[in-house]
Amino acid sequence: MKSVTLFVGTSKGLYVFRSGAARSRWRREGPHFVGEPIYHAGFDPRDGSSVYVATNQTWGGPRIEVSRDVGRTWTTASNPKFPEGSDLAFARTWHIEPGHATQPDVVWAGVEPAALFRSDDRGMTWQPVPGMNEHKSRSQWSPGNGGLGLHSIAIDARDAKWMAIGISAAGVFESRDGGKRWDPANKGIRSQYIPDPEAEIGHCIHHLVAHPVASGVRFQKVHDNAYWREDGVSKWTDVTAGLPSEFGFAAAIHPHDAATAYTVPLDPRPRLAPEPGIAVYRTRDRGQNWKRMSRGLPRGAQLEVLREGLTTDRLDPAGVYFGSKDGGVWASADEGTSWTQVAAYLPPVLSVTAATT
Amino acid sequence: MTQVSQVTVQLHGPFREFAGGSKSLDVDGASVGEALRALVTAIPALGERLRDERGELREHINVFVNSDEMRWLEGERTPLRDGDLVHVMPALSGGEEQR
Repeated sequence: MKSVTLFVGTSKGLYVFRSGAARSRWRREGPHFVGEPIYHAGFDPRDGSSVYVATNQTWGGPRIEVSRDVGRTWTTASNPKFPEGSDLAFARTWHIEPGHATQPDVVWAGVEPAALFRSDDRGMTWQPVPGMNEHKSRSQWSPGNGGLGLHSIAIDARDAKWMAIGISAAGVFESRDGGKRWDPANKGIRSQYIPDPEAEIGHCIHHLVAHPVASGVRFQKVHDNAYWREDGVSKWTDVTAGLPSEFGFAAAIHPHDAATAYTVPLDPRPRLAPEPGIAVYRTRDRGQNWKRMSRGLPRGAQLEVLREGLTTDRLDPAGVYFGSKDGGVWASADEGTSWTQVAAYLPPVLSVTAATT
Repeated sequence: MTQVSQVTVQLHGPFREFAGGSKSLDVDGASVGEALRALVTAIPALGERLRDERGELREHINVFVNSDEMRWLEGERTPLRDGDLVHVMPALSGGEEQR
């Protein structure tokens, strides 16, 4: 019997919600790491039990905590460290991504200041990735509102050496050799806030995901547009038309169907859901059309969903989940069509991760 | 020749948790810096909680020698005397904006 565990990272700790495959009743645990901002929790589907948590504590600095029992007990990992002599110092972790299925001990971490680290021992120690961290374009990177963070890591479903990362504000970079060489991969992206909207470097990536099964399929929210990319295509396709706003942070992709994805548009000025209120938008055709999904959600509510705040599980039909800065967590067991509330009045939600076990 | 002193380091708040619940530890050190290094030697889990990879003390840590914050003395070079209390405390950080 399958089950789903939600790891909800808030500004004040990590909350855990467990449910059966029906995803109709949720049992709450925690919070773990009380009072600590949890930017992300990465679940490892390869072993079905490891969870990697990015906690960015004020006191004692940022840490990575590792669980081998789906979030019941935790061990503190060694911090990522920049090389001796570097003028950079590890400030916080934004995202932790398990590596390719054929590399069961490899885990990747995106940190601030923007850099990529690799673990070869399932998250306990971390080594910098010089090809990315010392990229020749680094002097052109500039921090977004949240800082200069490497916050998205997308591993290709088939090719273990093909990966992409997203940085605010630098853009998408891709490697085809497992992380040694990195090249900008921003063709097709237009950004209105830089002098050359189609520049190779300077785009404010908000969230980038790779399809977990379909090789080459990518979806991302950039500051002022949404983009799709198919296998064998080097240029991003703007798929913003049909969304009520070009702005937003969250992006998630369907666990099985390679044409389905989700996003939560926000009004760019208040950074809240635009009228008529909170909704998840779903495409079934690679972004050509978008459908507003709000059944069960509070009508007219102007919620805010951050970059890690939207995700899917791996069941069929797929579950979709989001958390908002007002402390609510919502679940859909029917691929986004209808919604029920998992939790309310939590601290502001920074991230939601679904573990299917 | 620098006099090595026997001092007690007292841990407060989250630093006590990071040390597995230890409240205090007696260490030898001629200065605050030496006492902190001795503390980390005894409790390695505190290493990354006290300093970043450049060896700088993290933000939001206050270190007092008895009742005086070390920044108002000689920082980590502040000399210690036998029986001194070195307090490692979370700095007051209310109001910090969450991103």
